[in-house]
Amino acid sequence: MMNKEELLKVLSECVVEMEDEKVIGMAEEYIQSGYPAIDGIMQGLVDGMNKVADLYENEEYFIPELLICSDAMYNGLDVLRPYLEKSDSQQQCKVVIGVVEGDTHDLGKNLVKIMLESAGYELIDLGRDVPPVDFINVVKEKDASVVALSTLMSTATSNMKRVVELLVKEGMRDSVKVIIGGGPTSPEFAKKIGADGYSKNAVEAVKLVNRLMGT
Amino acid sequence: MLNTDSMTPAERGAAIANGEEVDRLPCNPNIANGVARVYGCKISEFNHNSKTIAEAQMAAYRKFGCDSLRIFTDLFTWAEAMGATVTFPNDATADLAKPAILGIEDIDILQPADPYKDGRLPVHLDAMKYLRDLAKDEIKCSAGIVGPFTNAFFLIGVNETLRLLHKNPEAVHKLCRISLETCKAYAKAVLDIGLNPTISEPMSSCTVISPKVFREFSLPYMKELIDFIKDYDGTKVVVHICGKTDKIWKDVANLGIGGMSIDNVASLKDCKLAIGNRTKILGNVDPASIMYLGTPQDVRIKTLESILDAYDSPKGYVVMSGCSLPVETPLENIQMMMDTVREVGYPVDPERVAEILKRYNK
Repeated sequence: MMNKEELLKVLSECVVEMEDEKVIGMAEEYIQSGYPAIDGIMQGLVDGMNKVADLYENEEYFIPELLICSDAMYNGLDVLRPYLEKSDSQQQCKVVIGVVEGDTHDLGKNLVKIMLESAGYELIDLGRDVPPVDFINVVKEKDASVVALSTLMSTATSNMKRVVELLVKEGMRDSVKVIIGGGPTSPEFAKKIGADGYSKNAVEAVKLVNRLMGT
Repeated sequence: MLNTDSMTPAERGAAIANGEEVDRLPCNPNIANGVARVYGCKISEFNHNSKTIAEAQMAAYRKFGCDSLRIFTDLFTWAEAMGATVTFPNDATADLAKPAILGIEDIDILQPADPYKDGRLPVHLDAMKYLRDLAKDEIKCSAGIVGPFTNAFFLIGVNETLRLLHKNPEAVHKLCRISLETCKAYAKAVLDIGLNPTISEPMSSCTVISPKVFREFSLPYMKELIDFIKDYDGTKVVVHICGKTDKIWKDVANLGIGGMSIDNVASLKDCKLAIGNRTKILGNVDPASIMYLGTPQDVRIKTLESILDAYDSPKGYVVMSGCSLPVETPLENIQMMMDTVREVGYPVDPERVAEILKRYNK
């Protein structure tokens, strides 16, 4: 039988090695051995995902690998989450995320969502091809602190600008941070449309939100 | 600024190919569906009205004197013709709603599209005929084709395809193979009408997949399509790949292409050094933050910088945006790109360009 350290290492490796099926059995074994779910998530699954992020940064992993690794992380999370103690999930600020209208490529958005969730934020996912006004309505309704906009299509970037304009028009601009990302966007683009920040990938997105939220 | 061109795009292209003097560098702002704003129609009219597609392209040429006209409205035309569902907003670009099949168990029901029958392909073919007749011998028009690898993603869904690359490589090859058949049939129809096919392969980008995956899954089919077109009538196609591409430039140049069009995150200078002695290069003013959101002054500066980076590329250089422009790109920015190329003239004098750049940079 593996001890806690060994099991954590295996959980992490399952994520890194794209073992999206094996991870389920390992997470079950971890829980059955009586170890705390929160450690399994943070020191196992999330540790693996952090390593994956490094591999991505170093251009050893690309989007297909990132996707399957995150499948593995989610599969592990599904097993461990029900065993979390109440105090483990603290009140965190809410992030509304979506792919702007004119685009259905949601992979980058999903990766950002995963990384922000594993960093403890509460995500409200509007999906893809989201009209600008929907972002505004949900931010209002859920009292969200951050709105995260994504697109892969140069032709859809104008709708990012539209979201910022609508927030200004509704008098909500000061109460919410706007972050953007995706292939055709850049720090300059973010600045020009009046967004609060740009991140070039999912790992950077967590750092960006942490910085904007002062955590 | 007045249109000071003293040659038609066709004359300019031919003269450059023969190493003769021309009036200016060729320039393709890559206006895409934004031609609807020039012509004054809704983008949804492009879904069924061949004549409007052609006339809107022509309107952009009349206004700007750009060196490229292309029949291409969205990435999903071929997947749609093979069974995918596409949404058609009233005045925005069509988008993928549902892939052609829901799982690998249905792969065998997929058929190559018939360009004369399926989806909007016949509308596009008719638009090519209208455009050819309107453009006469003034400008050689082209027709965009989404490459076999990228089209495969829209047949079974983008995320599913990304997973299959590792979980079931054989299935991805099958999807690419059948996409290739669609691409070939469409390319043949394009060539029969007398337009030049161009290939867009966004999913082949190093921003999405590794060079290794590119070489295994995309390159062989891209090669077969390019060879097919070359064998048919000698046409060499221009290839556009979005995002990062530096690690695969040589692979693509090895296919014997007519040009490599690169995005703004790639370096024109590096591209020139890597493959400029083998093929023409095109690019790469940032379509979003400069062309769409920048001032005309920003456009002028970035266009001059691009020219300085690539004007001396041995096999030729075309000033272009890094990717299709957003529909609402200000027309004055497009005009400024053209005017800047006219101001620089030909042959390009790098010292003079550097001086102009210095003046405007102040």
